[in-house]
Amino acid sequence: MKTQHDSRKAAFLTALFLALVCLASLSYLLLPARGKTEYTADIFQNGILIMSIPLNEETESRTFTIEGENGCVNEIEVRPGSIGILSADCPDKLCVSQGFISDTRLPITCLPNRLVIQLRPVSEAGEDSVVPDTLTY
Amino acid sequence: MSLKKLTLLSLFTTISLAVYAIESAVPPLVPIPGIKLGLANIVTLVLLRRFRARDALTVLCCRILLSALLFGQALSLLYSFAGGLASLLVMWLVMKLLQKKWIFLTGAMGGLTHNMGQLLTAWAVTATAGVFAYLPFLVLSGVITGLFTGLCAGFLDKYLKIAQK
Repeated sequence: MKTQHDSRKAAFLTALFLALVCLASLSYLLLPARGKTEYTADIFQNGILIMSIPLNEETESRTFTIEGENGCVNEIEVRPGSIGILSADCPDKLCVSQGFISDTRLPITCLPNRLVIQLRPVSEAGEDSVVPDTLTY
Repeated sequence: MSLKKLTLLSLFTTISLAVYAIESAVPPLVPIPGIKLGLANIVTLVLLRRFRARDALTVLCCRILLSALLFGQALSLLYSFAGGLASLLVMWLVMKLLQKKWIFLTGAMGGLTHNMGQLLTAWAVTATAGVFAYLPFLVLSGVITGLFTGLCAGFLDKYLKIAQK
């Protein structure tokens, strides 16, 4: 009976460990970042960095469009300190409903058009080497 | 190694390779590198439970080498080995600790360490700490997909009628 008890205890500890790790990750993702307010927006298409926009240098809103390989179009609006997708020709428009982002927590993604917009703090040296592309996995 | 075992292990290698191929044909659900179901882990879990650790290791290495030959690049080999070997080691330990019960917990630990192994490799390859921005995503996805593959392995193990050794 002792081994039975031991394995139950081990299972409980394993589950506890997993729950704690998940909770820590979730809280990190959901709690707003403190301190840093200056970000650079990196725009990736097909996993390749195609554009970097320092958001703190933007003084007024502007929009531009990015075309994908299949003629897919995303209209992107840059505001001082935030960035978002205004319109897209993809069917689900998930990227549009993600709204504007102003911190590093969740990148905006448009899967049909293979577009990712990710913010990073200005101070961090960021090149495309920071983000390993999907293919290498 | 008996002929029967050799045949069984070859069969398992084929199954995991097929599952891996099907999975890589499906477009990624999330555009974050490294997040995928890891269905081939089901085979590793079942092997760990039914056979010895070194059998699971053999099948894992064969699967990784073959999949890199068939669909991958040199770099994906490195990531696969880092993730696969780290998770195999941890799953072996956890499975021993849990006395082969609660396979979904073992699977979750395996998924977690698989992603951590790949993240550390990415860190070593790119030499930038920036990859750790993915840490919370990879932790969550590792645990969730690991739970899923663990549950699958549990059901498979229940209905799989093969000899113990």
